[in-house]
Amino acid sequence: MAIALTKRRFTVDEYHRMAEAGILRDDDRVELIDGEIVEMTSIGFQHARCVIYLTEVFVRRLEGRAVVSPQGPLAIAGATQFQPDLVLLRPPLVRLPSPADALLVVEAADTSLERDRGVKLPRYAGAGVPEVWIVDFAGEAVEVYRVPSSDGYRNVVRVPRGGSLSPVAFPDLALGVDEILGPRQA
Amino acid sequence: MAVALTKRRFTVDEYHRMAEVGILTKTDRVELIDGEIVEMTPVGSRHASVVKRLNALLTGRLGARAIVSVQDPIRLSKESEPQCDVVLLRPTPDFYAGSHPEPVDTLLLIEVADTSLQYDRGVKVPRYATARVIEVWIVDLAGDAVEVYRTPVPDGYRDVVRVPRGGSLSPVAFADLTLGVDEILGPR
Repeated sequence: MAIALTKRRFTVDEYHRMAEAGILRDDDRVELIDGEIVEMTSIGFQHARCVIYLTEVFVRRLEGRAVVSPQGPLAIAGATQFQPDLVLLRPPLVRLPSPADALLVVEAADTSLERDRGVKLPRYAGAGVPEVWIVDFAGEAVEVYRVPSSDGYRNVVRVPRGGSLSPVAFPDLALGVDEILGPRQA
Repeated sequence: MAVALTKRRFTVDEYHRMAEVGILTKTDRVELIDGEIVEMTPVGSRHASVVKRLNALLTGRLGARAIVSVQDPIRLSKESEPQCDVVLLRPTPDFYAGSHPEPVDTLLLIEVADTSLQYDRGVKVPRYATARVIEVWIVDLAGDAVEVYRTPVPDGYRDVVRVPRGGSLSPVAFADLTLGVDEILGPR
């Protein structure tokens, strides 16, 4: 049916009040994208392992230098709030994290690659998130996006297995793509 | 952007909670359609006048035989609560104080369509049929006619008639009540 319905869009504030009022609950895995409340894709093993691995490495290696937020909120704009798989935040954490607090966003993309690239990435760039990594399990690589601008990231690199990478904010911390992706799936 | 996103849908209860806690306010002209909160099109003066005309005609001729509900919600299902232009309801002593009327209470549902014709035909009518609303009229202001939808089946109405000016029609529930299309549409 090709009839355009105008959806009632919500602000981040209204979205938070839905949680406070119990309309959105703990079992809701959702994000707010341009005022629309969108269901997140489910998390498989590779995805979970990757987030757990990165959380552990970042917590151990960046103690005191970054706050590690796995699957926590990041308010992007007045009507967009994402829940990235992992965010490195500038310490100390004193408010709802916003792009100004973010040092690195990591999205683990198993089933969500098109959504991460097509929907989330442009919004991270527009909001000025300095660096995004998309872990592409199917393609066995990590995509690194740097230098945000209003029309996307200027600097894009795709690092395959065997390669390594460091966050711009922490050049001393090198991570292997093989460790990020985990063992090859049969 | 060609990426399909799955929207979080809301139940009628969640939708009501949004109003109770002030997330949806009086300035929101919305309805709940299949769990999505949809903005309604603005009402023009011709649309408003036909709604008032229908209210006067139906209230005057039916008296206490039906409650005439104007631009109020109908609880169609767990995930749909549209706001309908005019509805004839089965009379109840409390005038539906306890909960919004449901399809079983609905004797005739009328939508007045100026800019909303495609939406009324394509989105609302099929859902009224699924919910087994026995009869729907769409007053087509641009087309100067009334479309009558009867005999709901799961995906639409089996019996559809378009009555132009000069014609007349009676609701199934009130066969003795005859309304002229000209009376409904008002002067050209």
